[in-house]
Amino acid sequence: MKKIWIALLMCTILFAMTVASQAARKGDARQHGGTLSYGEYGRPATLDPITSNEMISLRLTELIFNGLVGINEKQEIVPELAERWEISKDGRTYTFYLRKDVTWHPREGEAVQKFNADDVIFTYRIMKHPKTITPLKVRYEFIETAEKLDDSTVRFTLKRPILNALAKFSFKIIPQHGPRNPDFLTREDPFVQHPIGTGPYMLQSITADREIVLVANENYFKGRPHIDRFVSKPFADQNIMTQALVYNAIDMIVLVNPRDIPEIQGNKNFILQPYNALSYSFFGYNMRDPLLADKRVRKAFTCAVNRQEMLDSFFNGQGTIISGPFAPGSWAYNLDVQPIPYDPQQAIKLLTEAGFTRGADGIMQKGGKRLSLSLKVPIEKESEAVKRVVLAFKNYLKNIGVEIKVEFKEWQAWKEDVFLEHDFDIIYASWVFDDSADISSLFHSAEIGPWKNNFGGYSNPEIDSLIVESKLTLDHEKRRTINRKLHALLAEETPYTFLWTLTNYTAYQKKVRRVAIHPYKFFSFADDWFIAEKEQK
Amino acid sequence: MKLASYRPIALVLARELLITGLLLFGVSLVVFTILYLAPGDPFSLLLEGQMPTEEARAGIREAMGVPKAWYAQYLSWLGHMLRGDFGTSVRTGLPVLAETLRVGFNTLVLTLGSMLVTLLIAVPIALYAAVRGTNWLSWPLTMLAYLVSALPVFWLGYIVLYVFMHKFGLFPLAFGFASSQKLSWLYFLLPVLVLGVGSGTISEVVRYLREEMGRVMEEDYIRTARAKGASVWRHAFKEGFLIPVTEIIAAKIPFILGGAVIVEQVFNWPGMGRMAWQAAQDRDFPVIMGIAILAAVFVRCGTLLQRVVYVAVNPRASKE
Amino acid sequence: MKKYSQKPGEISEFSDLPFWKKADGVDLAYVGYGLLIVTLVVASYLLGMFKLLPHDPEEISLELLMAPAGTPGYLLGTDFMGRDILTRLILGIQAYFLPGLLAIAIALLFGTLLGVLAGYRGGWVDTAITYFTNLVDSFPRMVLILLVVAAFKPDIYYIMLVVGITNVPVVASLIKGKIQFLRQKSFIEAAIALGLPTKTIIWKHILWHNCKALLIIQATIGMGEAILMETSLSYLGFGVQEPTPSWGNMVQAGSNYFMQGKFWPSTAPALAILFTILGFHLLGDGLNNILEGKRNK
Repeated sequence: MKKIWIALLMCTILFAMTVASQAARKGDARQHGGTLSYGEYGRPATLDPITSNEMISLRLTELIFNGLVGINEKQEIVPELAERWEISKDGRTYTFYLRKDVTWHPREGEAVQKFNADDVIFTYRIMKHPKTITPLKVRYEFIETAEKLDDSTVRFTLKRPILNALAKFSFKIIPQHGPRNPDFLTREDPFVQHPIGTGPYMLQSITADREIVLVANENYFKGRPHIDRFVSKPFADQNIMTQALVYNAIDMIVLVNPRDIPEIQGNKNFILQPYNALSYSFFGYNMRDPLLADKRVRKAFTCAVNRQEMLDSFFNGQGTIISGPFAPGSWAYNLDVQPIPYDPQQAIKLLTEAGFTRGADGIMQKGGKRLSLSLKVPIEKESEAVKRVVLAFKNYLKNIGVEIKVEFKEWQAWKEDVFLEHDFDIIYASWVFDDSADISSLFHSAEIGPWKNNFGGYSNPEIDSLIVESKLTLDHEKRRTINRKLHALLAEETPYTFLWTLTNYTAYQKKVRRVAIHPYKFFSFADDWFIAEKEQK
Repeated sequence: MKLASYRPIALVLARELLITGLLLFGVSLVVFTILYLAPGDPFSLLLEGQMPTEEARAGIREAMGVPKAWYAQYLSWLGHMLRGDFGTSVRTGLPVLAETLRVGFNTLVLTLGSMLVTLLIAVPIALYAAVRGTNWLSWPLTMLAYLVSALPVFWLGYIVLYVFMHKFGLFPLAFGFASSQKLSWLYFLLPVLVLGVGSGTISEVVRYLREEMGRVMEEDYIRTARAKGASVWRHAFKEGFLIPVTEIIAAKIPFILGGAVIVEQVFNWPGMGRMAWQAAQDRDFPVIMGIAILAAVFVRCGTLLQRVVYVAVNPRASKE
Repeated sequence: MKKYSQKPGEISEFSDLPFWKKADGVDLAYVGYGLLIVTLVVASYLLGMFKLLPHDPEEISLELLMAPAGTPGYLLGTDFMGRDILTRLILGIQAYFLPGLLAIAIALLFGTLLGVLAGYRGGWVDTAITYFTNLVDSFPRMVLILLVVAAFKPDIYYIMLVVGITNVPVVASLIKGKIQFLRQKSFIEAAIALGLPTKTIIWKHILWHNCKALLIIQATIGMGEAILMETSLSYLGFGVQEPTPSWGNMVQAGSNYFMQGKFWPSTAPALAILFTILGFHLLGDGLNNILEGKRNK
């Protein structure tokens, strides 16, 4: 009889354990375990969501932290730390009701703390503090106040109602007990290197070379993620990173160099997965130069460039030619506007109209001034994609009698030349957008000045008023119409020669399953990825 | 050795340490001057995306405790450094001293290892050539040494990696990648080998040692020893081998450290060279300073070794 | 004070045989090969100057990217922009020609000046110069170049300036060592006793008769170093910038395809570097042996 009792007791305990672990488990049958190590080109600076300002850190914070709201794979806004919310009729107050079952990652020598409204207010306060250096400050200037109603309710009041404000509440929340300094966050704070969050993965270790190991958060409120460990390996050479993938030293590359795509494509062990980053490349003109202030000259340059040929030759055709200033794929992009076609004859005609004649040396000139311009490009170590585009551009323009002097500059110096000194004629660069289709900082005349984004000094009252109108409109359809008009107008004005948006590719070993990717945060859905048990090594 | 014979070494050590201190001061001044003269602002990286006004930038500088005048900047930096505080990286906020020491150790391993490789290759060739003159064996070996010294080191690294991967199907990277596989220490040796062969110093080591040994072989006391049938090697060892070898080590450490910058990137070696490159890109003022100082310390250690050996072999030299 | 520098040579002032009669066949072969390389370098310089090239170095053909060697019209194939590799190889040496000479000139001029001052004057001048040379020696050259490049701009002349300056201590200590050696042999004292003016002693008896071999070697080494340094910097992205061809940026651009099995675009310029530097080394060795009369004993 005794034996049976013991057996029964054992069963109960076992049952209790199963129930307990089931509670923390996702509602699917995918296997747990395995390690995913991914290669990054470069090294992250800080790992917290406030002070970090580059993509590598952004991707890591996506694993460690959560926002009040998140988005799902269909780009819809879903609850995250807030389980529901209310928006007032006038669109100015947002009330968030927080989850009560969320705990912060444990830290040695500290009791596990629960997430509550204080943390949200704390994060907002830190972000706004003048001594905190963060790119977020500008993005959240639209918030007027943040107040705690009770332990699980916070209310934000906006300065003015804006469209899609809800999406902006995806900023990551940091714990009140996290940073050492309770007022503002600097890079000296230990928190920025050893952050704790609420996310699916917890920081385990970080080496001097910034190899970062993250482990699964058993108590993650959405259920324990499937893969046990994420390891971020920094590389200093892209060729070597690709080889590391091919020879199984790493499992994944976030962004594959275009020249390596054929090599990985031919290999059955890997999956190349495209994802559409909200970004595009362009040649930007300095409208302070009287020669380039003439719209016809800029348009002539655009006509002279065979974008499709470049895309095909340099990027295996993996991308789309664009016609205007909005991120392709965003709702604001106007598909009815066609890209200016490649037509060197038309280009020469436009230059002639603008008063240029061919000089004795074959270079166009006007009033004794040769059409000879400097093109400034930041140096990207061992990336020939940039070199190729720039050299091809030089070649195309040579054909219509324009001399381009390419000048490669070290990254910081380039930024100073472009954004501070405005000492350039043409630049080659790319913009990366977040999910809001906001181009006001690029073309509005109020954005001309040191370290502002309208580096070319483009000023057009019609554009200005359209941008303002679009910003103030709360109706989605109306706003779309305005943006379509903006698109058409800027396509015609060509302050940039809009080039293309490239299809980004991630490459990973076949063993990693159910990989869904966010266009630029990348790891948003990583808690659903898994590695089948027999392939976990 | 008798106790008395340590005295000159101690003297030399003391003197060299003093000189080292003075030199480090000079190094810091030079680095500071270059950075100070550079156009642009080391804080621009931090402020990126904030689009602040000039006043805001000045405010940040104040908040971070950066004084205005150049000498005040330098003196405050020097004062902190003397107290063992090299400041924190502008980019990561991490303490510079601890970080550079952490990666500096890896670079030290790489540098010393490849120095050893260089010597293992160069010394036999030089010895043989010095003793036997030019013949069917020493000539091709010398040519080979010259040839490998003329290879671009990163290209050599690519070749070695390619061979390793396509011949052996293995991806050899130090630190963590190969730890689970057998023979991982072999992979660890690859960057050391590549830097040892490709740093461009083998030819100079061969040339210098050959000359020095050739010269010593011609000295009267060696001729006497040879005539007497005594071991030439034992007599020539100190002056013809030990001294020139330590001299060449001291002289070539800066070059190998330079090569390490490249090899560390190719082989993903977590060392100081990569950090230096990154810091140069970001204009990470305190990190650049820290690395320059630490590198100078390495170099001076080599010189110190050379002086000590020199004096130990030749005690009179301490009076020089 | 560097013992490293005390390289004695024969005091060959009084030999009256012309050097080629004293020379060994091997040395003549070395010098011959070296001179061949120098001739090739000068020839390619002239070819570039008079535009006697198979193609325009910046002529792009997008339908012929990475063509293999032997493609009709492109003897050595094309690079990642479809440009002719042969043309760019011929022009590639130009990138080093003047900057390299600048580096050598700085090293030799200032090195000699400091070396003579330190060796001849001695005393506090010597101490000050020793401090300076030790200071320069304390910087790993690559770190210093990275610093300068990042602080100012990636310009080959800036880089060569640093290469030149960092070579000053080497030359200075060699010259100083030589003078000390001559002093040991009471050579200078004898000259002073003869009543020769200081200028003559330094120029004729020290520099011309006893240091020319050393200076030639340093010059040849300097050129090799200049080429290799630029190549390394190209890998870091700081070398000669496109579209100007240099062997360094050609190896770098080609090596991006190395791992995919396309060896040629990086191997061609790498071989050019290899044989050129070998040429400079052998030229230096040969001249040294001949001028110092090393082998004929």
